[in-house]
Amino acid sequence: MKILSTSGKIIVLIIILSLISLMGYAIFGSRVNIKTSPLVGTVAPDFALKTFDGEDLKLSDLKGKTVLLNFWASWCMPCRQEAEALEKSWQKYKGKDVVFIGVNVWDENSNALSYLNKFGGGYPHGMDPNEEIQVDYGVGGVPETFFIDPSGNIRDKFSGPLTEQIIDYFVLKAQKPQNNES
Amino acid sequence: MTNSSTINTFILYTFLFMATLIALQTQSLAQGSIDDQVKEISALLMCPVCQGQSIGESNSNLAHDMREITRRQLEEGKSKEEILAYFVNSYGESILASPPPKGINWLLWLLPGVAIIFGGLGITLYLYKSQGNKTKEQDTSKRIKPEVDNDYIKKIEEELEKGDS
Repeated sequence: MKILSTSGKIIVLIIILSLISLMGYAIFGSRVNIKTSPLVGTVAPDFALKTFDGEDLKLSDLKGKTVLLNFWASWCMPCRQEAEALEKSWQKYKGKDVVFIGVNVWDENSNALSYLNKFGGGYPHGMDPNEEIQVDYGVGGVPETFFIDPSGNIRDKFSGPLTEQIIDYFVLKAQKPQNNES
Repeated sequence: MTNSSTINTFILYTFLFMATLIALQTQSLAQGSIDDQVKEISALLMCPVCQGQSIGESNSNLAHDMREITRRQLEEGKSKEEILAYFVNSYGESILASPPPKGINWLLWLLPGVAIIFGGLGITLYLYKSQGNKTKEQDTSKRIKPEVDNDYIKKIEEELEKGDS
């Protein structure tokens, strides 16, 4: 039984191929320009943090410095994995206009403090007071790290445990003047 | 004099009672209205760490924080659009339960309609063609049947004639 004529078959084939091409474009086409966060390339949301040492810290006071902003929690295993690299890198960049800040989220104060005692807390860490900073930064999980350049723009976001090499790459990138990269 | 003072006190207490009642009622209505708005907005935002759940449906910490932020922003007087824009700014458009009809997103809105139209056309075409073929087959069989019958009858007649002779 012949349902479609030859021209009908050609039209159906064209429609199917067009749909496959559109799906391909939707899936792979725009991937080149996908940023890790819509905030990359924009001004970093300002925040105020009370550190576990009792000091007040404000992001806007750190203009002119490169900032590594790391979101972590004591129950997070990948955070423990990256702790050593963060501590070593902080030592390395100390006094070189690079500031490391740790923002503790979804955690208990006592657990956060014992984590810092165990894994090191040389640089300032504080608890997100209203659990609002992480939403301002679009954090979906921990660890997530933002690299903010000296002019206060978010240059990159990295999800997952950091290594010293990854930190070096993004810190050096954030220190360089921004090109018109997408 | 005592009577008048008692009445005045009664009126004063009644007034205070009514005022408190009205204030409580107004507060409860406003609270109810904010709760409704939080629910409405929560249904429009997807939980970034969940599988296909809105922040209204999810029990995750992040969804809870996002609901609280929504409530705080509503209390600050922000509109639904401003709150949605805030979350889109942080998480991107993928946070929206229904993506806005622009750019490649148009496909999501148009494709179901296109699929229904083409599917309907395909089914109609299929039914039309199959119906046409059936009618053709019936016509052909109608035309052939008498010929077959005639041959058969002819043969019977010939056999009968042979038998007679």
